[in-house]
Amino acid sequence: MICASPIDAAVLADYWLALLPEHEQNAVEEHLFACDDCGSTLSEIIALREGIRNLAREGSLFMIVSEAFVENVAKQGLRVRQYAPPRSGSIECTVAAEDDLLIGRLAADLRGAARIDLSLCDERGIEQMRLADIPFDAGASAVVFQQSITYAKAAPSGILIAPLLASDDAGRERLLGEYRFNHTRTIPGPAAW
Amino acid sequence: MPEMPRPKPRIVGGVIVPQMPHPIEPDARDLTQQVLITTLETLRAGRLREPEKLASFVLGTCRMTVLDLHRGARRKERLLEQFGPDLLPAPPSFQPAVDRDQLTRCVQKLTERERTVVIVSFYDEQAAADVARVLGLSEANVRVIRHRAIHQLRACMGVAA
Repeated sequence: MICASPIDAAVLADYWLALLPEHEQNAVEEHLFACDDCGSTLSEIIALREGIRNLAREGSLFMIVSEAFVENVAKQGLRVRQYAPPRSGSIECTVAAEDDLLIGRLAADLRGAARIDLSLCDERGIEQMRLADIPFDAGASAVVFQQSITYAKAAPSGILIAPLLASDDAGRERLLGEYRFNHTRTIPGPAAW
Repeated sequence: MPEMPRPKPRIVGGVIVPQMPHPIEPDARDLTQQVLITTLETLRAGRLREPEKLASFVLGTCRMTVLDLHRGARRKERLLEQFGPDLLPAPPSFQPAVDRDQLTRCVQKLTERERTVVIVSFYDEQAAADVARVLGLSEANVRVIRHRAIHQLRACMGVAA
């Protein structure tokens, strides 16, 4: 039987994460008692959530994270390697085979920025990738990002330059800081590329 | 002999329970027992002020108990990850499988805000207010971003958004 009033998949995700207000939670629950279609959708959402949790545990995503995320993965026993270069400074870094997550902490004054981009450049300063319009807390003193540990473990020694750029409402860009990561490969064996 | 099709699982109080003749999973049994005990204790103590809302009370108790079991299960999960493979056979899965590589591609297609909100919400399970605060967004905005991201992920994974 096809459900006549299916619950939105995103609402089912909120239900599973216990983010719904009580009256909505009750209504969803009563519907689920009687509806196999929405039960199947919820099963898909649960599988999606598990898949995303596994990806996060693998540390292979390149993304902005929160301090709470870093604390939680460390509490859960994952080995987190962190580097915090000074504002517009450089830091020597590496990654070990047993590391699970690689975190960079970029100190900057984020106040007044309408939008922030994190650019990733090679040693010549040529942009290779950009995380555009990243989420940030204007009151925080740093942007925290996760570099893919899979990428870092395979990478040869090299230099990564990461300019942090703020834009105002008029679209004018200004440099919040430029950070230089001098990566030395310490994992034995040839790099993957 | 052809294999009999498996009956579809049902969801009761947030717990996926396979239909008979499969045995009920131990977690569902624990849940049923715990909810019955709580309900009986509450009724005996006269703490249910509106008896006509018994069904809602039972549903709410189911939900709270599931969350408690879930929190306990996470600790158990970590121990099992470490020591379990030698001790237990893999439990039957009633969840649809997710293609890891495709999911990685789909997650990478999200915008930075969507990706971070989804990961923080699904991995950390932080309260909406905390997610909003650390990402410099309003709670309503976090909800909109999360919903949009879930629809995009489902569409990208090939299920109806």
